[in-house]
Amino acid sequence: MKRLVISLAFVVGVAAAGTPAFAQQSGNVRIEFQGPGGHSSGAYGRVSALHAAARTVILIQKALPARSYQITNLTGGNSVNAIASDGLIEMKLMAANEAAYKALVAAVTKAAAEGAAAENAFRGVKPGDLTAGAPATIRSIVKPS
Amino acid sequence: MKTLHQATALFTAATIVLATIVAGVAQEPGQAPSAGTPATIPPSVVAAADKIANDPQIMGLLKEQSTDAAAKARWNQFLELVRIPSPPRYEHLKAAEIHRRLVNEWGFSPAEVMTRADGIIAGTDTNIVDGLPVYNACVVIKGSYAGRGGAQHYQGQFPKVLVEGHIDVVNPEVLPPASDPFLHMKLQPFAQPVVATPEELAAIPDELSFDAKGRVIENDKYAIASKVFANAKEAETGGGVRIYVPGYLDMMASTSNAFVLAAAMKKHNIRPVYDVWICGTAGEEGKGNLAGVKQLYGFDQKLGTGSNPLNFVANFGLEGGGTVNFVGSYRFEMKFKAPSPRADGPSAPEAMAAAIAKIADVRTPSDLRPDAPRTTYTVGRASCEPPPAPGMSTPSCSLEVDMRSTRKETLNDIRNTIEPMFQAGVSAENARHGRKDGSSEAISLELVWFGLRPAFVAESVDNVAVHAGLQSGIELGVVSSPIVGTGSGSLNDNVPAHTGVPTYQFSLASTAAGAGAHAFWEWGTRGAPAAEVARMHRVLTAALIVAGFHAADGTVVQPAVGPIGKRTREVVR
Repeated sequence: MKRLVISLAFVVGVAAAGTPAFAQQSGNVRIEFQGPGGHSSGAYGRVSALHAAARTVILIQKALPARSYQITNLTGGNSVNAIASDGLIEMKLMAANEAAYKALVAAVTKAAAEGAAAENAFRGVKPGDLTAGAPATIRSIVKPS
Repeated sequence: MKTLHQATALFTAATIVLATIVAGVAQEPGQAPSAGTPATIPPSVVAAADKIANDPQIMGLLKEQSTDAAAKARWNQFLELVRIPSPPRYEHLKAAEIHRRLVNEWGFSPAEVMTRADGIIAGTDTNIVDGLPVYNACVVIKGSYAGRGGAQHYQGQFPKVLVEGHIDVVNPEVLPPASDPFLHMKLQPFAQPVVATPEELAAIPDELSFDAKGRVIENDKYAIASKVFANAKEAETGGGVRIYVPGYLDMMASTSNAFVLAAAMKKHNIRPVYDVWICGTAGEEGKGNLAGVKQLYGFDQKLGTGSNPLNFVANFGLEGGGTVNFVGSYRFEMKFKAPSPRADGPSAPEAMAAAIAKIADVRTPSDLRPDAPRTTYTVGRASCEPPPAPGMSTPSCSLEVDMRSTRKETLNDIRNTIEPMFQAGVSAENARHGRKDGSSEAISLELVWFGLRPAFVAESVDNVAVHAGLQSGIELGVVSSPIVGTGSGSLNDNVPAHTGVPTYQFSLASTAAGAGAHAFWEWGTRGAPAAEVARMHRVLTAALIVAGFHAADGTVVQPAVGPIGKRTREVVR
């Protein structure tokens, strides 16, 4: 029950984040994803930082009010025949006040962690796993930009 | 907007992968047994292998290559070439250095260098691929055949054997800035964990140094990096280091030694009957689209056929594998275009994200069934145009997706699953904003690039390249039976295979340990130089079985194949 209350409060907080018409605080955010990458076929089965980033965008759509954000960039990977080792979402957040803005950042951070976790789960890897000696999972970090 | 099916028969770039498939299970109904069954090697090939492998000239070449000085020269050359960045279609810097060394250091005359700095090869009908020049680097070991009375040729081209390894590398994606134009080769003790991020890699303090002429500086770091080990365990316990540099494994260690072999053949006056071309090929990786071998084989990507204008009679790749079957692939670059610069409408990044997120959940046939042919995919790359001004929308985003399988049916299965997801992403984003697909206010989809490489399953293992490849190994004791594995490779060889030219693969590299091919953390550790020499012996033997050879005793080992190469389309000049 406690978890549900916290979740509802989080949703309400995010929902109250405001619309651009009343935006008093806005900022740009970078969500970075890092993974092992590798050969698209030879290393098939490894997680993709770009796939994780895309999963995160879908989670952001669900978690944030429609007019509280603008995604300006989604990028990652170096080559069509390589699993992407990097992913990046660049976005603008717009809120009515500082508290609401912080709620948006928290929601984005949560979505990034869940997007990475979903990709890791899909490929069956968990923190601490290694692939050819390198960390096997997708890690995410949210930074102001 | 082009429809996807308007783009036909484009071959795409390739990279090495060996996918083991279960013999029999993957065999198409009614198809003659091929890989997995013994080849029937003619007695003449067996005799040629024995003669060539033990010829005093060949043994002299190998003896010299077995010295410490030669091993060091090979190692230094590799280090000096691998540091030159060479993204697909931007191989001109590496090709230029190879061209320079061919003439200034490796003993060839300019006339023996068959490729030009501007990407032109005289005699081919395909000097431009995908609208760009092709930066191959090729040298010829001249044969005697053209001087024979009655020598046959194809449209003026006498027969040739090709030995090739690619010179392009997945990373970096683009050439570095002129202020820091070369790759940094970082050294990390095995006791430390493999780097997790590019920042960790950049922070490694130890790296190899090079002088202004590009020569490796033989300092204490070089001494550590140059230690030789048999395997990863020995490297770990013996003070070895990981040498991080893109291209170490894929595949400059092998390609560099191809030019060592070329120079040694020249120095030791190894005389084939047919010409032997040794090439560093361009465009094997990424969107390189197999440009290098397309130029060499006159491959028309729309027709899916090769004219073989230079008249190659056999192809030997140096990326390893020893396979006769080749992975097929479809590749798409799709653009998601926003309807207007307003930021409150449907979003190109979110439409692309919707498509990628759907693709990310796909299970391939081999994910679902252990007995299914190996089938893989990834969205390898994505990018967006920046908004033209603050508050405006992102005009467009593009993704590149790779799908592969060892068999046509499963390749089509994965394509049929993934291809609709591009539009599904668009439709999902339009629907979120109440926009109708196809309207002027909706996200639209455009095909930017399409690559198709049909899967190739050899109908027979009985051809001159396989015979020479196997018998050279049997002769030298590294192959125990005349059987080609049932695996499939994703290699340059797809082009000669679809041109009808027989092909087989070796490696000239010796690496004690390595990992991270195609990733930012690609690394290797030096292996035994003797293995390189043994591999040179095999490649030399195989190439000369096919090309023919003037032996030290004055006899001539005749070419194992006739002088007119196969082709699936005639040259039209």
